[in-house]
Amino acid sequence: MRHMRPLNKKAARIDDYVSTLTEDVVGLQDGPAAQQRPHVPMGCALMFSPGWEVDSAGGTAGLCQPVERDIYDCFSTCYWPAQVPDHLNNAPDWTSKCAAATKDWRNLDIVFP
Amino acid sequence: MRILLASLLLVLPLLGQKPQASPSAGSAKSTPEEGIPVTSQLVISKCGGCHKQDDHGNLSRISWERATPEGWEQAMKRMQRTRGVRLAPEEARSILKYLASDHGLAPAEATPIDYYAERRTVDETNIPNDTVKGACANCHAMARPLSWRRSKEDWTLLGNLHVALYPTADEAFRLGLVAGNYGPDRADPDPNAPTPGEQALTYLSKVAPLHTPEWSAWRARMRPPKLAGRWLVSANVLGHGRFYGEMLVEASPTADDEFTTKVKLTSLRDGSTITRTGKSVVYAGYAWRGRSTGTPAANASPDNLQSEMREVLSLSPDQSTAEGRWFWGQYQEFGFDVKLRRASADPTLITMDRTSLKTGSQATRVRLIGESLPADIAAADLDLGAGVTVKRIVSHTPQEIVAEVDVASNAVSGKRDVALRRSVLESAIAVYDRVDYIKVSPDAAMARLGSERHPKGYQQFEAIGYQRGADGKPHTADDVELGPVDVSWSVEEFYSSYNDDDKEFVGSLSSTGFFTPASDGPNPQRQFSRNNYGNVWAVATAKNEKDKDGKPLTGKGYLVVTVPAYVIFDQPEVGQ
Repeated sequence: MRHMRPLNKKAARIDDYVSTLTEDVVGLQDGPAAQQRPHVPMGCALMFSPGWEVDSAGGTAGLCQPVERDIYDCFSTCYWPAQVPDHLNNAPDWTSKCAAATKDWRNLDIVFP
Repeated sequence: MRILLASLLLVLPLLGQKPQASPSAGSAKSTPEEGIPVTSQLVISKCGGCHKQDDHGNLSRISWERATPEGWEQAMKRMQRTRGVRLAPEEARSILKYLASDHGLAPAEATPIDYYAERRTVDETNIPNDTVKGACANCHAMARPLSWRRSKEDWTLLGNLHVALYPTADEAFRLGLVAGNYGPDRADPDPNAPTPGEQALTYLSKVAPLHTPEWSAWRARMRPPKLAGRWLVSANVLGHGRFYGEMLVEASPTADDEFTTKVKLTSLRDGSTITRTGKSVVYAGYAWRGRSTGTPAANASPDNLQSEMREVLSLSPDQSTAEGRWFWGQYQEFGFDVKLRRASADPTLITMDRTSLKTGSQATRVRLIGESLPADIAAADLDLGAGVTVKRIVSHTPQEIVAEVDVASNAVSGKRDVALRRSVLESAIAVYDRVDYIKVSPDAAMARLGSERHPKGYQQFEAIGYQRGADGKPHTADDVELGPVDVSWSVEEFYSSYNDDDKEFVGSLSSTGFFTPASDGPNPQRQFSRNNYGNVWAVATAKNEKDKDGKPLTGKGYLVVTVPAYVIFDQPEVGQ
C-alpha cells in the first residue's frame, strides 16, 4: 500500500490489516508458498469441526465461543479423544460434577489415561 | 465400571480376537509371523489369563509387538483401566522393565522418535502423505504408532481397536472423513480401492514391522549398562542460556538397571549454580528414564530451574555419551537440552561462554570450559580457526581457560571449531561481520489458558541472530546461526478477523520473552463470553542490531493461545 495513503479511520484499519499480512518478514514465512497455507502449530489436533486447539485456518477465530458452550458435544461424541475425555470408554463420568459447563467449568477434571 | 466392562466384553468378539499363535486360524494369504516368546513368569501369570500362550511360549498380541517404555506403559494402563487387570506398583514396574527391554526397540529404531518420549513439540517429518496423516496423525502425533513395531496382523488389530473405541477413527479409516471435510473428493470412487485405514496399515506394516535387522542385532548386544562414575554435562535452556557441569552416577545395589544421580550445573550467563539429586531406570540397555529435583523456593516461578524434572536420555551403545531432555511443566514445555559425556583423564572441551565473535573486534575475552585441561598452556595451544588470533591466556585452571582474542576484519563468517592442542570442540563459536536478521524461536508456538484447576501452559521465547552466509542472501540454508541477541518483547495482533482483539485477552509477554497465558473458562468481558484464546505475534525488537536503514532488526513468532487439554496421555511412571 505504498502508493496510497489512508484518509479516514476505516482506510487506516484496512492499511494496517494488509500490511501485517504482506510486509512482515518472519522466519516461518520464507517464500510465497508458505504464505498460502495456514500454519497449524505443531501439537494441534487436525480434526477441524471446528477444531480443538485451533480452527482449520491455524487460529482461534473459528472455535466455539466459548468452548464450554459446546463441550458436552465434544465429550459425548468422543470427537477429540486425545484432547477431551471421551464419554464412550475412558471417562464416562467426566461431566458428573459439572451441570452447566459455562458456569461450572472449574469442576472439569484433567484425565490421565 | 461394571457396565463398562460388560459392554467391552460384548465388543470383544466383534474384534475377531483370534489367538494369533494358532497357525490354522488367520488368513490363508500368508503364514503367521514368528512371535517373540515371553520368558517372564510374572508377565505370563498376570497377562496369560487373557493373552493365550501357545506351545512356542508366545503370548497372544504381546509376542507380536515391540515398543518404547512409554508405549508399553500406555498399554498396561489401558489394561488396568478397561480390562480389569490389577497390578501392584512393584509388579507393574517389573513387567514394564521386562517388556520395554526384551520386547523393546533398538536404539536405531528409537532415535527417530526420541522427541516423543522427550515430550518435545516438533514438526513431524515422518508422515509420508495426507492419507496416512488423516488416518494416523489427526488426533495424536505420528510418533505414537511409530513407537511400536508390530506384525502385519497386529497392526490390523490395532486399527480394529481404534474403530471399537473411537467413532471418529472409523470415519477417518473407512470413509476418509476427516472432521469438517465432507467433500466428495475425499472418498475414492473405486469401491475396490483400499480405504485410507488400509493404506495406513500397509504403510505401517512396511516401515514398522515386528522383525528388523536392527532389533535382531540389538537383542544380542543388549545388557544393563555400567554407568557409575562421573559424567560431564553441557545443557541449554531456552531463555536461560547454556549450562555446564557434572553428573555423578551410582549404581543401585539391588538392581543392575537402576541408578542414583547427583548433578551440579553452572550457568554460563550469570554463574549461578543448581544442584539436583535423582534416580533413574535404564530400559533395553540404553533408554534412560529418570526423575530429579533441586531445591525449589516456596513460590518459585513455573519455569524455575530447581523444579522437579523428568529425564529422558538415550545412551550411546558404547556407553560413553548420552543425549536427551530434562523437562517439567503441565505441558512439559520447559526443558534442559542435555548432552553428557564420560569424564576422562584426557583433556576434554565442554563449551564456551560466548556464541559469537565480531570481525574486527579486539581483546575480546572468551571462556572455554573443559575438564582435565593441561597445567601448562600457551596462547599458541589454543586455536579458534582462521582469522582469529589468541593474543594471550588471561588465566587457566584444569576446568577453564580465559583468553583474549582478536578477530581480523576480513575473517570468514561462519562457525569455528575450537581446538586446544589435540582436543576439539566442534562448531563452538561463530564469527560474523554483522547480524543480518533475527528470528524468534520457536517460530510457531502454543500456549494454554489455565487456572488453579487446569494449570497453564507457558511459552518461553528467544531471539536468535543470523548472518546471511556465503551466498549473501538472508533466509537461506547456509546462514550462520549466531546465538541469542538482546531484544525487547511485545505482542502484536495477528489479524484473522475484523475487530480482532485477541492481544488484549490472551495473556502477557514479559521483558525476558516469557509468555504467561490468561485464565481459562468463559470470559464475560469478551463478546459472546468467549474464552481468552487468540492468535498473536510475539515480536522481538533488537536493542543493538540495526538494518541498512538504521531501524532495529525485528523478528516475529506466531503464538496461538488456546484452551486446556483435558486429557493428557503421558507416562511419567516410566521414570519412577
